[in-house]
Amino acid sequence: MDKVVKKYSIHLILLAVILILAGIAFSKGGWEFVAEGLLQGLTILGKESLLLIAAFLTAGLLQALIKKEFITRWLGREAGLKGILLACLGGGLIPGGPYAYYPIAGALLSSGAGLGVLIAFVTAKNLWSISRLPLEFGILGATVALRRYLITFLIPPLLGISVEWLFGSAIEKIRKSVEE
Amino acid sequence: MSSATIILWIIAAVLLVFSWRAGQETIKKGFKFAWKTTKQNALLIILAFFIVGYVNLLSPEELITSWIGPDSGWKGILSSEFLGMLLPGGPYVVFPIIDLLMQAGAGLAPVITLITSWSTQSLLTVSFELPFMGWRFSAIRWSVGLIIPLLTGFAAALIWR
Repeated sequence: MDKVVKKYSIHLILLAVILILAGIAFSKGGWEFVAEGLLQGLTILGKESLLLIAAFLTAGLLQALIKKEFITRWLGREAGLKGILLACLGGGLIPGGPYAYYPIAGALLSSGAGLGVLIAFVTAKNLWSISRLPLEFGILGATVALRRYLITFLIPPLLGISVEWLFGSAIEKIRKSVEE
Repeated sequence: MSSATIILWIIAAVLLVFSWRAGQETIKKGFKFAWKTTKQNALLIILAFFIVGYVNLLSPEELITSWIGPDSGWKGILSSEFLGMLLPGGPYVVFPIIDLLMQAGAGLAPVITLITSWSTQSLLTVSFELPFMGWRFSAIRWSVGLIIPLLTGFAAALIWR
């Protein structure tokens, strides 16, 4: 029982969130709204399926192509600042939403990347995100977009360095728990 | 097709060429890894998209506009951090909402806090993060990151007052 709960704990968390949201939907528009929410979810999933396939393919091929020694040397704990900067660059350049970059981050994790490197990758994806740049400039205007970029520019490497320093040794535990 | 999809397919194609040149074994391994990841996470992804569907349907834009008014000061920055966590969807959804807020008079500092918080602290994103990275990673990244949107907001308020 414990094992089942552990294995499906994330499923259960997501399910709980869905139930809460479905409850809110029900209170607003009855069963029709409940069904509509599920339907919209499936529709968006359908729209994003091509992106998902590309993301999973990229993650798989990366894992097969990149030798463990390369990851250890460039993105592992020993890589230090070099690894963190490299991860920032990669994160800033990779396009797509969380369902696209987390499979890739997961592939890096299981290939031996360090915690600071992974944090830097995800944070740079979220804050540097080159692919989001035109949209941010276009909709919010140059002043706001530029100031937002400037003020958050140093955060991905700094966060990577500090997390590596504070929690770096937790990476093996993280790797093991995901592989189970 | 979105530009992100096209770029990601180009990356996948380049990797495919590299794998092909590295030998049949590598390609096979790549597909095997891809399939394994897909199988492991398919159900979770479907569940996460149901969440996206509900958030999309319940569209909380109006509620948000009532939260960050003009001259909201540090309270505005604080509510922006909280709102950013809940703000759903990608940039196509979120930037127009933020634009509306700016037209309604939201200041630069809360707006920068909001964008930063949505980027790094979004709870919807965490639901995609958990399956691939595990709860320990999410817990560390999310809790250490909590302070960042606030800091950027206060810094923006100081620099560009």
